[in-house]
Amino acid sequence: MLLAYSFLAPAFIIIGLFGLFPLAFAAYESTLRGLNKIVGSYDGLGNYVKAVDNLIYIINFWLAVGLVYFAVSMIARAVQEHRQEQTNAMRWALPAALTAAGTALFARFVFILLPEMLLIPSKLRGQNNTREAFRSLVVETWWLPTVQIALWIGVVFLAAGAVWALLINRQMPKDGRDRIYFMPFFNAGVCLISGAALIWFTLTEINAAYAEALEEGVGLELWSQIVTISAGFLLLLLAWRLWESARDRSSNTGVALRLVGAVALMAGAWVLIAELPRAVAAGDEDWWNGLMATVFYVLGTVPIQLGLALILSALLFQKIRGQTLFRVLYFLPYVAPFVGTAAVFRIIFSNRPTAPLNSLLDLFGAEPLLWLSEPAGIIQMITGGKIDLGPILSGPSLALVAIMIYGTWTYVGFDTVIFLAGLGAIPNELYEVADIDGAGGWAQFRHVTLPLLSPTIYFLSLYAVIGTFKAFNHIFVLRQAAALGTTDTASIVIFQAFKRDTRYGYASALAILLLLIIMIITLVNNRIASRRVFYG
Amino acid sequence: MNTKRMWMLATLLVAALVLAACPAPAAQAPAAMEEEAPAAEAMDEGPCAPAADGPLAGIDPRGQTIVWWHQHRGSREEKLAVIVEDFNANNECGIVLDAQNQGGYNDIRDKVNASTASGEQPASLIVGYQNDQAFYQLNGVLADFDTFIDDPTWGFTAEERDDFFASFMEQGVHPVFDSQRLGFPPNRSMEVLYYNQTWLEELGFAGPPSTPDEFEEMACAGAEANGDGTGGYILRDDASAMASWTFALGGDVLNDDNTGYVYNGQATIDAMTMLKRMFDNGCAYFFTEGYPNPEFAARRASFTQGSSSGLPFYANDMVTIAEEQGRDMDVWGVTAIPHTTENPVQNIYGADVMITAGPPEQELAAWLFIKWFTSPEVQARWVEASNYFPTRAGTEAHLSGYVEENPQYGEALALLGHGAYEPQLISYQAVRDAAETAFNEIMQGADIQATLDGLTETANELQEELMGEVE
Amino acid sequence: MADEAIASSALQTRWADPATRRAALNQAIIYTVLIIGAAAAILPFLYTVSVSLMNLTEATGGRALPSTPQWTNYTEAWHDAQFSLYFMNSVKITLISVGGAVVFCALAAYAFAQMEFPGKSFLFTLLLSTLMLPEAITWVPNFITVSWLGRISPIPWINNWPSLTIPFMASAFGIFLLRQFFQQIPRELWDSAQIDGSGHLRYLITVVLPLSTAAVMTLVLFGFVGAWNALAWPILVTTSSDWRPISYGLLVFLDEAGALLHLQMAGAIITMLPIVLLYFFTQRHFIEGIATTGLKG
Repeated sequence: MLLAYSFLAPAFIIIGLFGLFPLAFAAYESTLRGLNKIVGSYDGLGNYVKAVDNLIYIINFWLAVGLVYFAVSMIARAVQEHRQEQTNAMRWALPAALTAAGTALFARFVFILLPEMLLIPSKLRGQNNTREAFRSLVVETWWLPTVQIALWIGVVFLAAGAVWALLINRQMPKDGRDRIYFMPFFNAGVCLISGAALIWFTLTEINAAYAEALEEGVGLELWSQIVTISAGFLLLLLAWRLWESARDRSSNTGVALRLVGAVALMAGAWVLIAELPRAVAAGDEDWWNGLMATVFYVLGTVPIQLGLALILSALLFQKIRGQTLFRVLYFLPYVAPFVGTAAVFRIIFSNRPTAPLNSLLDLFGAEPLLWLSEPAGIIQMITGGKIDLGPILSGPSLALVAIMIYGTWTYVGFDTVIFLAGLGAIPNELYEVADIDGAGGWAQFRHVTLPLLSPTIYFLSLYAVIGTFKAFNHIFVLRQAAALGTTDTASIVIFQAFKRDTRYGYASALAILLLLIIMIITLVNNRIASRRVFYG
Repeated sequence: MNTKRMWMLATLLVAALVLAACPAPAAQAPAAMEEEAPAAEAMDEGPCAPAADGPLAGIDPRGQTIVWWHQHRGSREEKLAVIVEDFNANNECGIVLDAQNQGGYNDIRDKVNASTASGEQPASLIVGYQNDQAFYQLNGVLADFDTFIDDPTWGFTAEERDDFFASFMEQGVHPVFDSQRLGFPPNRSMEVLYYNQTWLEELGFAGPPSTPDEFEEMACAGAEANGDGTGGYILRDDASAMASWTFALGGDVLNDDNTGYVYNGQATIDAMTMLKRMFDNGCAYFFTEGYPNPEFAARRASFTQGSSSGLPFYANDMVTIAEEQGRDMDVWGVTAIPHTTENPVQNIYGADVMITAGPPEQELAAWLFIKWFTSPEVQARWVEASNYFPTRAGTEAHLSGYVEENPQYGEALALLGHGAYEPQLISYQAVRDAAETAFNEIMQGADIQATLDGLTETANELQEELMGEVE
Repeated sequence: MADEAIASSALQTRWADPATRRAALNQAIIYTVLIIGAAAAILPFLYTVSVSLMNLTEATGGRALPSTPQWTNYTEAWHDAQFSLYFMNSVKITLISVGGAVVFCALAAYAFAQMEFPGKSFLFTLLLSTLMLPEAITWVPNFITVSWLGRISPIPWINNWPSLTIPFMASAFGIFLLRQFFQQIPRELWDSAQIDGSGHLRYLITVVLPLSTAAVMTLVLFGFVGAWNALAWPILVTTSSDWRPISYGLLVFLDEAGALLHLQMAGAIITMLPIVLLYFFTQRHFIEGIATTGLKG
């Protein structure tokens, strides 16, 4: 066990510094306001409200519910096992809870220390900025009573929990029939505490919002919105559950359940459609448009990119002539610097009638298109623009589609290389066995290649979804003002808020929202993948 | 347990080895921090001795090393290095200036903001636009130039002070921050119209246009001559172009008390109406694949519009393309944006230098360099090297030879007196993007009045929103 | 059904019907698909090469091919962009960061794939979550980190190799990628290694890594591409040419070359050559499937 941690240590020190610290930083910043201020004034959920309006309260509420549900189900599973297998799970509950509390208190310490530390630069300004001055300020900050008290409270809890757990571990018989139930309880504890903290935080914010509204003499419908929208979600959830359970029932009950489910579905959807727009009305329009563009971008690139790469790598894995050449060719787009390829794609997708693609269209007798300068949605364009389809139905703008093609063009090579590595890890003898069994090519692909490639497919799909959700470079180098912002995805909106406007707090809040979306999608993906990924 | 410890040790060893294998260069703390010249106690005379009285009394700039973060690259950087070399060898205070390119304006901005956030000392001298100054000063990063300019020992005489174009000097003054002077103008550029004289003559015109009507007529003639969609004026959708046209038609994009934007004045509406008409008639077109200068040089555009700092690039492309096409180079030039005002009101812009707050000796040394760098003789050298415009009247006396050799530069220089300025409000960077979008919306057929009304509203909202965060 | 049959034969020619006609058909289909794909991949790139050999008139005039190739564009780009000044910096930065990444990612990935310890899934989720923050947000906190580490450690980090390499020595991408491959290695191998008295580290080095060459090479390759093309971060943390990478040379050159599209393209192609060469020499590691039976138990 210690060995495992020491294997992880170097990587986690680096990732902790350059991956987790920015996360904590963003979480902290998102509660502050102030232009070009790292330590701005506290604003609670203010930045989030600016971005998505009252929806943030509902999101927080449901996040908390999710955390509590997660905790309860973990405890329930442990208790069930405890009953069934006659193991003594419950004795782990207290030390695990103690450690969880310690962890939470330690996190609290981090968020007490962080602002104090981040104030050091402003203290340095105006005095001689030497290493010594900096170090003494760091030492001074570290020994602040508030920081030290927070630290020791956390440490004491953590240590108490850990020692207790170790003592129990030592008491356990060596034959190892008794499982260690520390982690489930610990996880449950952490979830419960963060859920409770989230609810407390949200309630405080809601009360503050009501107080403010009262002062300004405006009415606020926060609670009613929370209740109705939550009800809508619940109905949808219920519909889904009913539908699921209908599958296993006999036909009559099944039909009945489906009927009820359909009613719940419609009712839920109706409530949401009626209420949601009202709840997000005052949000940031640029942000919503950015999210929509992002969704288009992800849906339009990931499946195509992965599908193409899978086909290409399967073909490239055959014994064919010029294999090396083909592999190098397919990889070129990924390694070529942006500046070169972006310039080429700007020319290809130019709005000039004589530009490459427009010349091609001309060859077929079609009208030239504006490509990167075209803000109209493609579905809107295909249908001839006679009916106004609204922003979602008209699809991504042609400009965004051009950028998607550029992104796909670049990343197919990347995906192909990884697929090739995955194919390379499949033992040859499995194919030989399959051959002997008389399995044909397609059968072999489906029953040998695909299952054995599933870890790679899982990896790439996850990575591609995460990557495209925060895609930035490809879009930034090709975006043109003439596309009227239809190519600005969420990451572009975040970039502009952070770098151009230096609204660190607001940009961080947007980043956290995007992170939440990606995380939920990843969790769902994992749920699906866990049934299908097969590790040798 | 023992083996486990062994493995842990081994892991650490591997980690240590990897780190040790990398070459570890000698520590290079910025030189500026090491050389803290001890303040001279005894009465000190001679060149560059500390002032005996005044607000800067006792501050000794001698022997300081100053870093300057700038954006000049290529030939400009090389020529700047020669001038800096001269300063380092000959200044009597023994100040050493280290001029470093740090990428573009945005890179410098990122670096300054990151340095501010982390407490890293930024360079003593930094380059940036006026709205950047406001961003920086939210954290008190900058020093006030007035401290130095007005100092009896180190500052300007009244005569020197008045030699600078007052309007350039005003740009660095920020009412939001107690009217501190946060930026100082080492050079300027201006928005100009590039025209092809030879071609215009072939089309039957005597010379460049001075009114919008003439301009439109000539551009349409060029477009007709080419007949393939090119030949006219290349539209510039930048906010600076929008401001330039507004100025040229007698309007402004800033409201009267300089606190908000007005993009829906009559001048802007007229300008946009004309540009839209030109676009619709094929007399103006968009070129989105790169810079417009080669288009201009290859006679695919009769007019382009842009910063005068592009002059050397235009000159270069004109020569290259004429050579490659085996013909005589067209005579070309720059002129004021076609105007309806009596005097051509020019959109003049350009980055300032700023002094970052630091030890007083360094701030003073940084100022002494700037003072030297903007002295007429040196400014003339810099202007010749860079093609920028001088910021004080006295420099022109040293430029006569250069103007003779570079008639296009001379033409533009003559316009310098009629300057107008783009907003320096804190939201201008964001508003520029909004203006660009609005320009494109209009060209795509949106109603001009409504779009400009919307832009004005958006711009003022952005300003309000950002100022709301300043509190 | 017919489609399926064609697809199946196209996908697995190794075991195709011995009938030569059918094999020939398979081959034809494979080559058609590959060539069409390759054309789509390569055409924009070929255009880059073509433009890089044009003169200014041709480059900006929408021509497809140069009348006479201007090879001097390359020497001009090489000199103007001062690539020789930055080339070695890029080599050093890349070697240090990729070397570190392989070691640290392999160790962590091995722990995730083959070892049991409390908090495994929690740590792995934490790891993945670091991938989900948009990069724009990470620049300022990471600059704070390197700046502060530089001020409390014996050597400075800003404008020095640590700030350019250490942040990239471990990535969630690398760990995740290697873990996927390590996880596929049969448990029996570990059992027999244990009988031989081998510990985890020796097993990792002598068995797991050789079996995962393709994955490790992938990591090396992408680490290399990332480090080689990195631009925004190196500009932020360097102030002089002592440690600036080749991509900085390219950026400065592009700005100076401005409208000179042909020189831009030449510069872009020069910077990508080393990566193409590296891929050319590593790609043979992706060719053959591994043979686990040949390994000693």
